[in-house]
Amino acid sequence: MIQLFKVAKSYGGGTPALADINFEVQKGEFIFLTGPSGAGKTTLLKIMYRTEKFDQGQVLVNGMNIGKIPDRKLYLLRREIGFVFQDYKLLVKKNVFENVAFAQEVIGANKKRIRFKTWEALKNVGLTHKKDSYPQQLSGGEQQRVAIARALVNSPKIILADEPTGNLDPEISLEILKLFEHVKKSGVTVVFATHDQEMIRSRNHRVVVIKRGKLVTP
Amino acid sequence: MTSSAHTTLSNIKSNLQVFLVSVATITVAFSILGLFLVIFVNLNSFLTTWSKHVQLIVYLEDDISKDQRGVLEQLISTNPDVESMTFISKESAWANFKNTFSTKKSDFIDELKFNPLPSSYNIKFRPSPERFTKIRNFAELFKEREGVESVEYGEKWLRAFEKFMLFIRIFLLAVGGLLSLGLILIISNTIKLSFYSRQEEIELMLLIGATPGFVRIPFMLEGMLQGLLGGIFALALIKFLQLYIQVQFQGSLETIVRGMEFQYISQPIILILLASSVFIGWMGSYIFIRQFLSPKFK
Ligand SMILES: Nc1ncnc2c1ncn2[C@@H]1O[C@H](COP(=O)(O)OP(=O)(O)OP(=O)(O)O)[C@@H](O)[C@H]1O
Ligand SMILES: [Mg+2]
Repeated sequence: MIQLFKVAKSYGGGTPALADINFEVQKGEFIFLTGPSGAGKTTLLKIMYRTEKFDQGQVLVNGMNIGKIPDRKLYLLRREIGFVFQDYKLLVKKNVFENVAFAQEVIGANKKRIRFKTWEALKNVGLTHKKDSYPQQLSGGEQQRVAIARALVNSPKIILADEPTGNLDPEISLEILKLFEHVKKSGVTVVFATHDQEMIRSRNHRVVVIKRGKLVTP
Repeated sequence: MTSSAHTTLSNIKSNLQVFLVSVATITVAFSILGLFLVIFVNLNSFLTTWSKHVQLIVYLEDDISKDQRGVLEQLISTNPDVESMTFISKESAWANFKNTFSTKKSDFIDELKFNPLPSSYNIKFRPSPERFTKIRNFAELFKEREGVESVEYGEKWLRAFEKFMLFIRIFLLAVGGLLSLGLILIISNTIKLSFYSRQEEIELMLLIGATPGFVRIPFMLEGMLQGLLGGIFALALIKFLQLYIQVQFQGSLETIVRGMEFQYISQPIILILLASSVFIGWMGSYIFIRQFLSPKFK
């Protein structure tokens, strides 16, 4: 489903953000992407979503050659992927329900479907009671769950989650993890970036470790 | 499409003031343009009305022979563009002249012991688009003829008027072009402001899978709506002005030129004005999209 071959990326500084990255994620697989802060996890996920360019190598996602997609066709890639941003990217002028529904609106879903899917996604992250709140009225963890609901609402084939439990206490973190695992069961490919070593150890999903832009064997 | 229209409306609502200012600017600019057009149209119709009265007068020398007159009459009656011809003799010209000025009881005229007026042919031409040219050519033909003293057809007037109309035409084009350019910039700027107020949202849209068209269309609609509203308001404004002038001055206009009335812009021109206002709106949004939005489609 996702293939990276000799991918390298530099932000222009001395040491490259990523160097010689090779790995593959099978369809329906769940992997943890981990490594210390600044290792290049976010950069790697952004490359797969093509919000960041890379300098060398090949990246294939769902059969699409990331480096070769013309800008006007980019939406085709983005619609296959649910991305949980590390900084959430919620719209402050929209309430919880509208924020989640937004992802449905931009792909042109009809009203009835939008209502149904949004409600379902909010139920999944346990936030139906907050549907009318605005982002500033929510805790960090609640905002994170809104971001997760928005990534799930379009039923994507792939989920790229950038530290989706970074702000959550262990109990809710586990709930969220279970949610992603549940999604995985329906055939969705999940890349789950996290610092939480305990969480990683508690499961036996494949772990990809990255340090200073390079893959290391765990 | 309905969702695009919806987005357009909420865009406008969130930036209503800027939108209204822009529409008002377009209205003013189009009113100016429209007023010039109205003036142009009316001058043109004045010219047409006036030109109906233009005729060619061929003044004859006093000692013209019968044969020479026969040649001239032959020339006139065989010309297909001539509608009618009247011969006015020295005597009837003099009588007419005296009649016209009889109220003044001018001693000067009464004291004249001889008739200073020549006899003449008054020639009316059939209406046709090239009427002026035909009259002019025909007049040139007569000037050189024997027995002809002079010809007259309001030549200087005609030339001046034609030149003036040409000038107005060029002026209209230039002013129209400049105003359009300004409007395009104003509209693209208004749309830019409407974009800024929703920048975060639009960037997120593209980030999570909106097609470029989905993002573009509401801005297109916003630009075209601005143009259209400006155009409609301007036309309404000109219409009011026309009605006012009609009510106030129709009487006096009639006395200046018979059959002349103050006209509104004709229907095709209304449609052209509206179409160009929409086009200008579209251009405004197009420029915004090219410069601003498209670079974000990545
Ligand atoms: N936009 C950018 N411009 C310049 N350098 C950047 C940019 N984004 C990231 N970097 C650098 O690239 C390296 C990798 O950053 P990245 O955000 O991918 O790390 P990360 O593994 O996600 O870290 P964290 O766990 O803290 O989120 C870091 O050294 C960072 O400073
Ligand atoms: Mg990161």
